Amino acid sequence: MRFRAKIVDLACLNNFSRVINTISKLTKTCTLRLTVCKLYFILSDKVANGGASMWCELCQGNFFDEFQMEGVAAEHNEIYLELVPENLSRALKTAHSAKAVKIKLTNKHCPCLRVAVELPSLSSSSRIVTHDIPVGVIPRRIWNDFREPTMPDFDVSIYLPVLKIMKSVVERMKNLSNFIVIEANLSGEMNLKIETDLVSVTTHFKDLGNPPWASEDGCQSSAQGRNLESMAEARIDIKKLQQLLAGQQVNPTKALCNIVSKRIVHFILLHEDVSLQYFIPALA
Amino acid sequence: MFFQHYCWTAVSDPCHKEKELSLPCKLIVKAVLPVFRCANVLGRNVEKCSISTSPSDHHITFQLLCKHGVVKTYNLTFQECDPLQAVFAKHMCPNILKVHSRLLADVMIHFPTSQEEITLSVTPVKVCFKSYTEEDTDFSRTMVTEIHLSPEEFDYFQVGVDSEVTFCLKELRGLLAFSEATGVPVSIHFDRCGKPIAFSIEDVLLEASLILATLCEAQKEADSQERCCPQQWGSSETHPDKPSGDEPNSTDISKHPQRDGNAPTNPVAKQEVKSIPRVTGRDVTGRAGTATAEAAGEATEAPYQKFHSLFFGAVSYKEKDATGHTFQSLATASDTEEDLGPLQSSPVL
Repeated sequence: MRFRAKIVDLACLNNFSRVINTISKLTKTCTLRLTVCKLYFILSDKVANGGASMWCELCQGNFFDEFQMEGVAAEHNEIYLELVPENLSRALKTAHSAKAVKIKLTNKHCPCLRVAVELPSLSSSSRIVTHDIPVGVIPRRIWNDFREPTMPDFDVSIYLPVLKIMKSVVERMKNLSNFIVIEANLSGEMNLKIETDLVSVTTHFKDLGNPPWASEDGCQSSAQGRNLESMAEARIDIKKLQQLLAGQQVNPTKALCNIVSKRIVHFILLHEDVSLQYFIPALA
Repeated sequence: MFFQHYCWTAVSDPCHKEKELSLPCKLIVKAVLPVFRCANVLGRNVEKCSISTSPSDHHITFQLLCKHGVVKTYNLTFQECDPLQAVFAKHMCPNILKVHSRLLADVMIHFPTSQEEITLSVTPVKVCFKSYTEEDTDFSRTMVTEIHLSPEEFDYFQVGVDSEVTFCLKELRGLLAFSEATGVPVSIHFDRCGKPIAFSIEDVLLEASLILATLCEAQKEADSQERCCPQQWGSSETHPDKPSGDEPNSTDISKHPQRDGNAPTNPVAKQEVKSIPRVTGRDVTGRAGTATAEAAGEATEAPYQKFHSLFFGAVSYKEKDATGHTFQSLATASDTEEDLGPLQSSPVL
């Protein structure tokens, strides 16, 4: 098992840092899956996460100038690592002006991702900062736990409002309640509602637009033939939604969510070179 | 340089004729800060600031005489104390580095703020700062950071002996913040591990030194009888009157719980630090010159100690009055009454 990669371009480095920062806001530990072409940050829906799960996919070519990987075996040319994204985020945080960043999988005392940042300095030789981030190697027999989640059969799919606005609304609501209801219909309307003993607050969004999902085999999905005004709703943990919104540092190219009434909300945030899917289960 | 008028009456003590010391007292910095909080506002409104003490009732009074007849008076209580002075022969250190504080700050920024201690290791050709983890930490969970610098980055670089010293980073950050504000380069004097390391800044207006104990890689089990013991801090050059309240004179912060004498683990001991008091124009007397604590054979209950002191010496111009214009340095030890316990970080000065 070998892995080494290098980033030289500052813009790519900043981009990569941003992705890591977003991930670190969503979860404390996650799985990093490395393949020849892509990197994945995966969180599977264990009870410990409150049932939330995450799938984030990056094309390595968009970030790394060099990328070499050798998986556990020839026919399973992938590496699965368990890591704390906050560590990686911290290592990259001070690399703003780096000349190069190299990441390597090592195994001195224990498996680590060694991030070596080469910084400019006043003297002829550069400053080198290395961070050894401990990782856990995930054995092949449990790789199945980390498969890509399937798109749920949703009732409503809708584009999200401007994330900044949504974030400030949710942040204020978080002070009042632990749960939030998201409801939306196929007419581009979305409501965010909280209800406590003392107060209930609803924020209405209009004209959001609904993404046109082409059904694959022409058969009616549950979204077709649905009353356009009828709301699909789900009551979710407000903290998870707030974390998702707070972690977005750049406006995504596309941001939408799919709601399965009373079951799950599936958020999809697409940027040019990275896609993030986040599933939040509905609570009773 | 700072004061328009400076009047000081010596508190004479028959026991210590050779030194007339100013009133040794200590104040809580947090109490003094609000007095001088907004420098801009002060500059605009305050016409005069008068500072006076009344030793009899342990008060120090700051009076800000402002515009429009407004007078703000702050009465703060101080405690008498016996200032401890570290005796540390800086000029005898084989390793001396001088560098602008910006560089050190840039280096420290890579370490998490929760990082307690770091290790500085030097050879004539390289310098490395590394995060230090205790022996019993779970390495599979801790992130380790290492920074390599080239000697060329330092304004002055002298390495007489290859060494690796581990000291408290948190304390250093305070000094770095201060020196960045003053823009003065930082000098680092140190020796082998176990011996103290001194960070100092010096310019026309002031000198400040931070002396930290460094971890000592103790001897193996065979010497478990012999431990580096703390020297009781004699208040050798200070007033012995009224050790104030119930503060112990010695600076005991036990950092590591005492280990079983038979176990082959390495007990970690920190050595005491003494330094030459920064007294302008006087000969250094007393205990000056001793650079290390003696490794006494006796076992005591608290063999593991950590000490650090921060003291300031203000260098003032020679004035007409012969007496009393020397600023005595006050080394405030981090005294504590806490018991032996696991890792205690000392209060930040």
